[in-house]
Amino acid sequence: MKGYRKYFGKKIVWFLITLVVAVILNFILPRLMPADPVSAITGKMAQGMTDASAVQEIYKRYEEEFGTNKPLIEQFLIFVKNLFRGDLGTSFSQYPRKVSNIISSAIGWTVALQLPAIIVGWLIGNLLGALAAYIRKGFDKVLLPISLFLSNVPAFGMAVVLLVLFAVNWKIAPISGGYAFDMIPNFSWRFIQSVISHYQLPFWSIVLVSIGGQAVGMRSMSIYELNADYVKYARFLGVKDRKIVGYVFRNAMLPQVTGLAMSIGTMIGGALVAEIIFSYPGLGSTMYSAVTAADYPLISATTLIITFMVLVVSFLLDIIYGFIDPRVKAAQFDS
Amino acid sequence: MKKLLCLVLALMLALAAIGAVAEVTDLPRNETLYFAGQQWGSVNSWNIIGTNQNNSMAIAGGASGYRTLMFETLYMYNFMNGDIIGLLANDDYAWNDDMTALTFTIKDAAKWSDGTPVTGADVVRTFDIGVEIGNGTGTGFKGYIDSIVADGNTVTINAKLNDEGQPVNPLKVLDFLTGTPIAQAAWIDTVVERCGGDAVTILNDPGEDVVWSGPYTKLYADDQKVVLVRDDNYWGQDESMWGKLPVPKYIAHAIYADNPAGENALKAGEVDVCQQFIGNVQNLWLEDGLPISTYYEEAPYGVCLTMPTAWYNFNLPVLAENPALRKAIAIAVDYDTIIANAMTNQSPSFADVPRSLMNPTEGEQALYNHDEVADLQWAGNDIDGANALLDEAGLLDTDGDGYREYNGEKISLNAVCPNGWTDWQASMEVVAAAGKNIGVEITTLYPEWDIYQTVFTNPNQTEYAIYMWSPEAASPSNPWTRVNQFMGSEFVGVENNWSGNWGQYVNEEADALLKKIPVTTDEEELKSLYTELTKIYLTEVPSFSLMYRPSLFHAVNESVWTNFPTGDDGRNIPPADCTDGYGIAALYDLELVEG
Repeated sequence: MKGYRKYFGKKIVWFLITLVVAVILNFILPRLMPADPVSAITGKMAQGMTDASAVQEIYKRYEEEFGTNKPLIEQFLIFVKNLFRGDLGTSFSQYPRKVSNIISSAIGWTVALQLPAIIVGWLIGNLLGALAAYIRKGFDKVLLPISLFLSNVPAFGMAVVLLVLFAVNWKIAPISGGYAFDMIPNFSWRFIQSVISHYQLPFWSIVLVSIGGQAVGMRSMSIYELNADYVKYARFLGVKDRKIVGYVFRNAMLPQVTGLAMSIGTMIGGALVAEIIFSYPGLGSTMYSAVTAADYPLISATTLIITFMVLVVSFLLDIIYGFIDPRVKAAQFDS
Repeated sequence: MKKLLCLVLALMLALAAIGAVAEVTDLPRNETLYFAGQQWGSVNSWNIIGTNQNNSMAIAGGASGYRTLMFETLYMYNFMNGDIIGLLANDDYAWNDDMTALTFTIKDAAKWSDGTPVTGADVVRTFDIGVEIGNGTGTGFKGYIDSIVADGNTVTINAKLNDEGQPVNPLKVLDFLTGTPIAQAAWIDTVVERCGGDAVTILNDPGEDVVWSGPYTKLYADDQKVVLVRDDNYWGQDESMWGKLPVPKYIAHAIYADNPAGENALKAGEVDVCQQFIGNVQNLWLEDGLPISTYYEEAPYGVCLTMPTAWYNFNLPVLAENPALRKAIAIAVDYDTIIANAMTNQSPSFADVPRSLMNPTEGEQALYNHDEVADLQWAGNDIDGANALLDEAGLLDTDGDGYREYNGEKISLNAVCPNGWTDWQASMEVVAAAGKNIGVEITTLYPEWDIYQTVFTNPNQTEYAIYMWSPEAASPSNPWTRVNQFMGSEFVGVENNWSGNWGQYVNEEADALLKKIPVTTDEEELKSLYTELTKIYLTEVPSFSLMYRPSLFHAVNESVWTNFPTGDDGRNIPPADCTDGYGIAALYDLELVEG
């Protein structure tokens, strides 16, 4: 038990150190861009305004309001103080909307799209990969090239192909949006149907790409495990095939589980392409527009969410591995 | 039995809840006019006296034509002929003799959505609160308007006077008439009270309870769409205004991620009016056979009001000290290629509309003497002429490396515009190619928009040599405003310069002429002043326009709605997407394709 305590304690310390560094980087990196977002807001406000001193006045007011005229260290302290209060600040590009308001209206769509897509892609991919490794022969010969092809199609390519084929050419799927262009959200079956049909293309554009990668990874791992000494030894001992397959896949799954966890951790960034191509609402497109507008508070908030999710997921993985993987367990006790 | 009763009760409650939420759940296709290209991102607020509302369907536009769907201006501007047409006010605006005061009356029929009449006090309060809290109206006009006073429905705008006792700029006062939405004084008081009088709080108030005077009001807005619904009590159905209600019951705008998404929706018939640049727009009806059309059937398909321009950086000595170099580059550029490639011929050529300071509309073209400047104008691709100019100016290639030198150094410039602005990028490539032909190294540079806007609005920047930006399009104060943007030195040295003269060019003679125009009413004198300014511009070449371009694109899909305005229908409704300035008149004439 002492070994576990030491193991967890070490992990928690590293988790906290990484978190602090990540928060500092999240604050500093966007602000290193040679862009002035206050100037962009002023530009929007000053459209059609030709009185130069009036435009200046607007610029000064925003500078004051956003605090961008303060030294960077002071801005950082305000940022951290607000962070502890759960205040992520006010968006520059969607001013005067609060960042928390923008994120809360977008995050549901991203999670609802990405989480099932990642899990379905992972399940189908791993199943196909495992079957290819186990059955081999014709199945593997067909599946491997298809998987390699799918895993190498860039996400935007897949999204555009699906959009052009199913929505533009064959008109069997909607072109864009999260629900029908001629509806207002309501609790009706027609609306739910509309949401489901708008979900299809973005969903499959993510699933298809991830199936390929997962299948290739799982196939290689399974083949490696199937040829491992312990399998041969088990066969020699006369252990039943089903039992052996169970051992094999349990071992082959470990890196795949890590992959799944990391995909979930980075799902916000991964949603970007599908959301943009299909004009689908969500955090990915929010993050993209924040970056192009040098919207520091919104960039910091979205990247902070990604960082936090990745950190939490990898921390949990470390903890779980401590229990389930005998190799990790042994290493900790040895040290 | 008790359980059954509870179940029935729960079901009833659930149904009631659905009913309450889903008051309007569908937007019937034959009652809704769908838009694209106006609203990007979700709506921030409905506060008409606030800032950054990002509410393009309700609160948008400027002097060239305010979007009067929900909030109304005193007058509507028609950029086709420069007419200023009464909306909330009667067609009786008049200056006093020395143009220090402008008087007009508010229409008796004009009403707010709460049924109270629109009065002169509303106009006064709209301006005063703007100055007080520093919103766009206040900061934009307080330099030109001293005060507004009202006596019942009669309103007088007192112009701000300069040191000589003359009005600073009467043209800008006219911009106030067509570019400022009027807010209700009583509602302003409510907002001021709930915000404790704090300017920033007032500016950021969401304005959900706003009172409007226009024919539409908000129905629904989220991250994916904004919907306005017709106000069937709209005062404008009075005979003194439109005499009827606008035809579509709903105005809807889906929020698309980018131009291709909006264009796909237009092609699919999910959008009726599209304010986006569509390359080779004619192919939509000629090749794809879609029921899509533009204002004119032939090129340039729309009405071009502005001129995307390449500005020379006068902070760089090589450009500031060599007018021959500036002109040589400008006359060497192949504008026909730019217009054919970047604009897919949605711009008249510089042979059709010779370059000057004016946009191609008839009204502006009549403002200068064409014969007097004919020798100074150029249509482009004049490589020999450009080389001769440079040779004559002594800008020669002395070291034989293929590039000319100035003060012993190779002339090396960059041509810059934001990344992703594909039509502008194509133009910059043509400018760079022109440089190659005349021995001037011009390399292209496409920074991201957020960086570009930071640099080009910096008056001291030396990073960009030739860079693009568009001057003003059309409004009652144009072409003066645009000409001032091209040459007025009032913008020189101004930090965060979004206002004009982005190259920092100074010419005292031009300044003196610019000062005279706003107070000149004699047409001949006005023409002579603009002609002189055109001569200076074409000789000095502080910048050069690369194309003409509409300020609003206007492509319509007629699968559901028809009778959109066209250039030859005799109605003189501008192609302003049925929403801006006098363009809103189109909404009253729309017809359904299927009766």
